[in-house]
Amino acid sequence: MRAYYRFPLLFLLPSLVGFLAFNLGPILTSLLLSFVSYDGLRPLSLATLRESWVGLENYRRLLEDPVFHKAFINTFFYVGVAVPLEILVALLLALGLNRPWPGVRLLRTLYLLPTVTSVVAVGLLWRWILNPTVGPVNLFLRWVGERIQGAYGLLGITPPAWVEWLAREGPGWLSDPAWAMWGVILASVWAGVGLRMLIFLAGLQNINKEYLEAASLDGANNLQRFVYVVLPLLSPTVFLNTLLAMIGGFQVFGLVYTMTGGGPLDSTNVLMLYLYRKAFGVFPFEMGYASAIAWVLFLILFALTYLQWTLRKRWVVEET
Amino acid sequence: MRLLGKLWDLFVYLALLAGGLTMLVPFFWMISTSLKAPGAVFDLPVEVWPKELHWENYHRVLTSVPFGRWYLNSLAVALGLTFLNLTSGAMAGYAFARFRFRGQGALFLLFLATLMIPVHVLIIPLFILMRNLGWVDTYYALILPGLFDAFAIFLMRQHFLQLPRELEEAAIVDGATPWQVYWKVALPLAAPALATLGTFTFLAGWNSFLWPLIVTNSLEMRPLTVGLAVFQGQFSTEWTVLMAGLTLGTIPPILVFLLAQRYFIQGLTLGSLKG
Repeated sequence: MRAYYRFPLLFLLPSLVGFLAFNLGPILTSLLLSFVSYDGLRPLSLATLRESWVGLENYRRLLEDPVFHKAFINTFFYVGVAVPLEILVALLLALGLNRPWPGVRLLRTLYLLPTVTSVVAVGLLWRWILNPTVGPVNLFLRWVGERIQGAYGLLGITPPAWVEWLAREGPGWLSDPAWAMWGVILASVWAGVGLRMLIFLAGLQNINKEYLEAASLDGANNLQRFVYVVLPLLSPTVFLNTLLAMIGGFQVFGLVYTMTGGGPLDSTNVLMLYLYRKAFGVFPFEMGYASAIAWVLFLILFALTYLQWTLRKRWVVEET
Repeated sequence: MRLLGKLWDLFVYLALLAGGLTMLVPFFWMISTSLKAPGAVFDLPVEVWPKELHWENYHRVLTSVPFGRWYLNSLAVALGLTFLNLTSGAMAGYAFARFRFRGQGALFLLFLATLMIPVHVLIIPLFILMRNLGWVDTYYALILPGLFDAFAIFLMRQHFLQLPRELEEAAIVDGATPWQVYWKVALPLAAPALATLGTFTFLAGWNSFLWPLIVTNSLEMRPLTVGLAVFQGQFSTEWTVLMAGLTLGTIPPILVFLLAQRYFIQGLTLGSLKG
């Protein structure tokens, strides 16, 4: 037997039904919706689509919508800060945890625990962790501030204003428009770094030990082995990991929804939250407009993936 | 030079240890707050661990909102999604691994292409579909969209391709139908892959948020994630009760993770390195 030569209808039926009804159908409908003005209340039919057809109007409105601009910029800021931070910390952790320390498995588990916690729990928990008066983050920062203040006091110099501020109150985090996004980023790095680390660990364990031994025989030290052997061989994993983190980052929703609801003053409003508000959150619903946001976000992700794979050809070292 | 290396190693180890403990601080804070007296959480200086343990916070979260019902909903959704995903994914994966039919390559590529489509593009039409079917606020809407999952199909196909064919061939010689071969011979051999996929899907289902937020609207149909998020306003002055709820809600995924860590890690690395 090499194979069964026939169409396996029985085996494929569940997936085919799911694919047509819950994937292909919705994708095509979504594209159509982005060209209509639809409040989500009337029954959706071809006649409805024809009557409420507005062409590219939804996309044109996006260009002039200040809240969309804000959400657009915020999303890029979030991805631009959170992803590099997460990748860098995860890479360092993976390098450290790739060695046979006593209890290394337990250590890896510690870093992974936030990864399996739901994003809602992470968000609600961090609202409390970042409480400006009694949250542990600010308790710690105030403690640090007091120590610096003390050091200045010993030298007999008046400490600068920021030290006074740190020792007295510290950042207002989620209630302060200047700090709110940083609070969200902090929570997201805590929650996400374990998964990134795990992927780096898998990449590191795929590296052929003979390369490292050869480099050692040639007299390379640890740093040289890392820069000239490990990093190039790990580059496909770095690329993939960054891409996955960015794709996830552009779709950040639950964390912002639970931590700030997009506020204060839209300072943490992101594209997915705005899409949700437009389609389901605030009456009158604008499902056509929200679909246009969805496709803009899709185009961003698509361009990103395309760009990364193009760059990958140039920068990544493929093991042959 | 050797001494310097040893010192550096010690430093790295201590840093990893300190980092690992720092990762635990939010969890510790969650549990500690959940045991404090409701009125005392804003008192300064802050108590790191309460002198008196106030278990009534747990009693309150269980009685003031339909917490048990939310818990069961989350369990039903996570288990339902896992069952659906494993069943349809393994069947389709087997079809692609062992059958030869016209358009096979094209269909497989089409399926894989859906991995490129982010979920946010689907949710609006999917919601309209659920409303037209009268499924909003039912388990159907929460579970059935998991019927098709390209990742599951891909994972199962890879696994079936790696299985030796001899056992299946022996069954065919004995006169078994393709379905019998699949059900009695191939599927039991795929248990490790099913465990990997199952752990992964269960956790994703338990932690899912956006879709359940959209398709449920009654208090009784909310899964735990949505229930807690939507009713945080109700708890906003009662942090101790909210933290008790979060503690209870965090136990199942962490338990599943600790019990099935090996499969979970396999699933993650497979999904990200090969996908």
